[in-house]
Amino acid sequence: MSLDIAGRPAPRLSGADAWRRALTTAVHCVLALLGIAIVVQALIVVEARPQDLITGIHGMADIIWRAMPPDFSKLPAAAWPTLQTLDIALFGTMVGIVIAVPLALLAAANMTPSRYAYYAARAIIGFTRAVPDLVWALLFVTAVGLGPFPGGLALGVHSVGMLGRLFAETIEQMDMAPIHALELTGARRIQVFSHGIIPTLLPSLLGISLYRLDENIRSSLVLGFVGAGGIGFQLLTAMNLFQYQEVSLLLIIIFVIVLGAERLSAALRERLA
Amino acid sequence: MLRVRGLSLRYPNGKLALSDFELTVEAGELVVVLGGNGSGKSTLLRCITRTLKPSAGEIWLGQTNLCALEGEKLRRARLELAMIWQHASLVRRSTVLANVATGALGRHSTLRTVFGGLPAAELDAARGYLGDVGLADLAEQRAGTLSGGQAQRVAIARSLAQRPRVLLADEPVASLDPEAAEDIMRLLQRLARSERLAVLCVLHQVELAYAYADRVIGIRDGRIAFDLPRSQVSREAVHRLYIHEAA
Repeated sequence: MSLDIAGRPAPRLSGADAWRRALTTAVHCVLALLGIAIVVQALIVVEARPQDLITGIHGMADIIWRAMPPDFSKLPAAAWPTLQTLDIALFGTMVGIVIAVPLALLAAANMTPSRYAYYAARAIIGFTRAVPDLVWALLFVTAVGLGPFPGGLALGVHSVGMLGRLFAETIEQMDMAPIHALELTGARRIQVFSHGIIPTLLPSLLGISLYRLDENIRSSLVLGFVGAGGIGFQLLTAMNLFQYQEVSLLLIIIFVIVLGAERLSAALRERLA
Repeated sequence: MLRVRGLSLRYPNGKLALSDFELTVEAGELVVVLGGNGSGKSTLLRCITRTLKPSAGEIWLGQTNLCALEGEKLRRARLELAMIWQHASLVRRSTVLANVATGALGRHSTLRTVFGGLPAAELDAARGYLGDVGLADLAEQRAGTLSGGQAQRVAIARSLAQRPRVLLADEPVASLDPEAAEDIMRLLQRLARSERLAVLCVLHQVELAYAYADRVIGIRDGRIAFDLPRSQVSREAVHRLYIHEAA
């Protein structure tokens, strides 16, 4: 008879238990093989060739070498596109908030006045979120021409989807007890909204909006690549003209903007919490 | 003040939650409702506030039959009917004073309250109600920082700001420690006397009913088992309310 470490006889497995344990082990092995297969197919589909990265590294090094030192004499010229980039993000976020708040109220199961309004609002939110901001920017550039305005519109429409969904989820998770309490005091629906729902939700909605602004600043940098203005457009032009020292300056500005916006947004959200 | 006549409620699944219920609560009176889980105590309060629509019967608040009202008329009638729950249900991020003052929202115009807030006189009154419940010092504190007992006092102050004639309380001390529970019951008793409120309070704590109620109503299976002055309620009668629960 075998003994376990405490000196007691180890329990013997019945036939059924032994089979169950073997089956579990087999299932784990199959799942592990499946996981490996998924990773391998991903490497094949993306045509991953690490050796190319090693052989081509001198090309990257050459560009970095030519980008040094950054051309700080171009700093004044970069000020306006930088402001444009920030304002595209600000405009887009504000448009997003103004449209997303009423949509979210319709799309929240605990607030919506009707099932039809719920599904319609959810559909709009889903559609504006599903289409990437870059595609929206291309559409708006076609509609209103090159410049920062189509960029702002693109971020605004995409933000409606992103903010709408998060706002609606926040509203659905809201503690409804204070709201029901206010309703029973004889307060009208608008009064319940202004004195119950807004104070309860405002910090969360502001936090989400600040996070969105942070995201939109990153996005507005890229939108310039499709002609939607801002520092991205400046970066694309400098790269096309092989002005690598200007490119490095613009990358430094982008780094400062992104990091600054991220820190500021995080600090403000922490204060709101 | 509050009269319930022949009140019945049958749920859509056919279950009879309240059957031919009769009760009266006069101004200045504190009436406690006792009964086991699922006996119909909370359902009774929800019918009185018209959160649930009764299948039959009448609920008279003074000269007004609440069962005959809908929409704006029901909203206006509710101004005279305040309610407190087991949990205080305060807006946690607003100040204590703002929470109390919201009790008076329904008495003022929508535009004024939404864009300009409540009148200064209403805020002064709210401070007075906070003083009545012993929390004048906490007026500017956020409601989310209060203890359970303090929050329940604020909820009572909010119901006073409503200037009701009837105060309904659904297990208002269920989540409080014994000392805080006694405080709240003393407060309800005092307010019933001083403000001439008709207070109808659902409780699970039999000892509190014996200590503070003017009258005790026992409910079993949605029917009144007894409706007696506190001094005439026997321990046996109360015990019988809970027997089927233990069985």
